[in-house]
Amino acid sequence: MVEATGILHAPRPGGIGHRLRILQVIVLAEFKLKYAGSALGYVWSVVKPLTLFTVLYLVFTRIFKLGSVSEFYAVSLLVGIVFFSFFSDATNQGMVSLVHRESLLRRMRFPRMLIPTAATLTAAMTFGVNLVVVVAFIAWERIEPQLDWVLLVPLLVELYVFILGTALVLATLFISFRDMGQVWELAAQLMFYASPIIYPAALLPQWAQEIVFLNPFVQILQDVRALVLYDDLPANNVTAPDVLGEFGRLIPVGVALAVFGLGVALFKRYEPWFAERA
Amino acid sequence: MNPGSPSAPEFTTPSVAAIDVDRVSKIFRLPHERRTTLKEYFLHPFRHDGHEEQRALQDVTFRVEPGEFFGIIGPNGSGKSTLLKIIAGIYRQDTGTVKVNGLLSPFIELGVGFNPELTARDNIRINGTLLGLTRRELGARFDDIVAFSELERFIDQKLKNFSSGMYLRLAYAIAVQVDFDILLLDEVLAVGDAAFQEKCFASFDRFRALGRTIVLVTHDLGVVQRFADRAVLLIGGEMHALGAPDDVTEKYEAFASPIAV
Repeated sequence: MVEATGILHAPRPGGIGHRLRILQVIVLAEFKLKYAGSALGYVWSVVKPLTLFTVLYLVFTRIFKLGSVSEFYAVSLLVGIVFFSFFSDATNQGMVSLVHRESLLRRMRFPRMLIPTAATLTAAMTFGVNLVVVVAFIAWERIEPQLDWVLLVPLLVELYVFILGTALVLATLFISFRDMGQVWELAAQLMFYASPIIYPAALLPQWAQEIVFLNPFVQILQDVRALVLYDDLPANNVTAPDVLGEFGRLIPVGVALAVFGLGVALFKRYEPWFAERA
Repeated sequence: MNPGSPSAPEFTTPSVAAIDVDRVSKIFRLPHERRTTLKEYFLHPFRHDGHEEQRALQDVTFRVEPGEFFGIIGPNGSGKSTLLKIIAGIYRQDTGTVKVNGLLSPFIELGVGFNPELTARDNIRINGTLLGLTRRELGARFDDIVAFSELERFIDQKLKNFSSGMYLRLAYAIAVQVDFDILLLDEVLAVGDAAFQEKCFASFDRFRALGRTIVLVTHDLGVVQRFADRAVLLIGGEMHALGAPDDVTEKYEAFASPIAV
């Protein structure tokens, strides 16, 4: 057919290269869109978690004296807030992404999964900007980088897998149940206080620790803190194996993978009808 | 997927037809009052879902040969756009199969799915990429797209400030810059001015000379008679005529104004 008509053909769409190009142009455009037209631009993405950090820091060091549990309370709190903001922003934006782009869904055929993936990657770029602030705090505290910090890479991968899986589940549900927006806002708020972000993990009773460490977010956060704030006080330095046994880390990692598998399966199952229902 | 359930359009090479639509039916379930919030479920837990089933397509069967210009005509709400979306793989049919042989470029609902908050430049980049252009191809064709749309002065403006005619011109310019085998056009001539229409007609001739396949949904019977090799008439989701454009448009005119005949 190519010879018969003399048409030069572009590579057929649908390949991995095509998908990556789509992700790239959508993520860059969304990131630009998010901060275009605002005077301070990217600064806002840092201002929000820093404000929350400042308020919580003042309340919990001046009034509740939590600062005494660790000399690294400030940086530990900031890590918790920045990681949680990433989780919360990425899952929320992933959830509504299909409905927001319904005009595109109704006019073009392309792998639908690229839309929530692009939304979570856009949130990941904001997370990257926030990490610069975290690094500045770590430098301020004169914490020296260690070789085992390379373990942060698999932890960040695990976090993204968990976030993308959650976003895929939520995006599929949000197509049919718009209340998911309110439900998830509430659930995320509960998760914030149920995670050892403000308070040290050891303050929770043993049975409560066993529950919260099933959450991959808590396992990841505590592993990151243990790696970076290595000589932190024991009350802060609690990781999954301390709570769930020697191979305890496998349980939350398994939960993250299960959520991702569920997200992909659910999304693929209902994908053909997204265009008419979004 | 269950065996026997309708599958997505298959993109295969050995088949002869450019598009093979076989006994395709589609029903839209339209709730009387859309119950999409939990509160409504709690308030009226036992109320039956008031479905209204709207039959959009019923046993539609036809083939479009490679290089053919194929017209789809019919009154509003007759299922023309739904059919085009099923061919494009955007909607899923309930029963029947659709086979598409070749690279599709869809132009549906007056556009290619622009983001009104972004500039024309960014939208060209996104939609060109979605349609399969690489970064290099986009770079090479960007000026052609802009020139064809005649929007050079507005290229860095947000699309929300564009008129519907400008929207249409940009979308058409992108859709035809892809190396498509099959072009799906939905009401492309509806809001453009005379100059743009002439431009479309010129491009139709060019694509025909290149051996490309075009499927055109339109109300303009004159265009079907002038360009189409064959046409189909849809009324209420059913095929009422298939064949030579003159015969099919005649049937449509007889249906539209029965007294005159």
